[in-house]
Amino acid sequence: QLVSALHNLTRHVVYRGLTRAEDILCLFPENFHQNLKNLLTKIILENISTWRSEAQASQISLPRLVDMDWRVDIKTSSDSIARMAVPTCLLQLKIQEDAALCGNNPVVSALTVELSKETLDTMLEGLGRIRDQLSAVANK
Amino acid sequence: VADKIRLIPQDFFAELCEQIIQHLNHKIPGINTAELCQRIQTSGIDINIGDLAKIANTLSFLFSTAARNNLSTEELVTTLGSGVSPLPKHAVQVIRHVWSEQGKAIAVSEDAGNMATVGQFVDMKWKLGVAMSSDTCRSLKYPYVTVTLTVADPSGQITDKSFEMTIPQFKNFFRQFKEMASVLETV
Repeated sequence: QLVSALHNLTRHVVYRGLTRAEDILCLFPENFHQNLKNLLTKIILENISTWRSEAQASQISLPRLVDMDWRVDIKTSSDSIARMAVPTCLLQLKIQEDAALCGNNPVVSALTVELSKETLDTMLEGLGRIRDQLSAVANK
Repeated sequence: VADKIRLIPQDFFAELCEQIIQHLNHKIPGINTAELCQRIQTSGIDINIGDLAKIANTLSFLFSTAARNNLSTEELVTTLGSGVSPLPKHAVQVIRHVWSEQGKAIAVSEDAGNMATVGQFVDMKWKLGVAMSSDTCRSLKYPYVTVTLTVADPSGQITDKSFEMTIPQFKNFFRQFKEMASVLETV
């Protein structure tokens, strides 16, 4: 019962986004033990930003990008062409499925994709537009 | 595979063959198996995407082998007939038609783009969002980027992969791509 009550209290504080001692103190009932109330408030304040980040990290979401590796190769020959010099890019994205669905065993899948110069430029164009949008939103 | 082909109505089968030939001709980046499967299912046919994928792979192999051996329409149809389990008549009819129309155009092309050993990138769609609130935090204001990559796997079939990134992750992502592009330039 004690653990459950503490859990409810901390969840409530994170949910409401309370950051000031006064707001947390007034959650306690009138005749609550003074020193205990202060101690609990202090501990909660110390941990609030960690808990908030954790809550954000574990909220429902699409799978998340956890890692990305790439390399640039040159294709020099194949069974149909004896000599060529085609640069190509290999990209590997590691994507973790929704943490909420996987519990303690997150599933990470790897997506390996080949990009040519043209497709890479398409990708860059799209990413540039996201960056522009981000700046526009940040400036508002 | 012949049994599964039996299930597919002629017009859907023709569409599948069309897409496969166009993919082999490099006219389209890949075969939209998922979308086709959904439409077939909506029309009441009970087929799953795994079966459709197998059929697509088999047909793709059939057409590309026939192209490499320069088979005429009659030779192709004869080869089909001599297999262990014969294909249904409507399927042979479609194959004959598609092959005689477009089969010759499958150049066993001198094209570097032929060597697909990993997925080929087709397209990217994106969305910039802000999570306002959740069951754990009433006031979130958490920005994130959602990306959907459309990829054609080595057999030509198209799949989508979606994922989220935080803003710092996105910035790193962008930076890496710019670096890739500059390496590709100078190499």
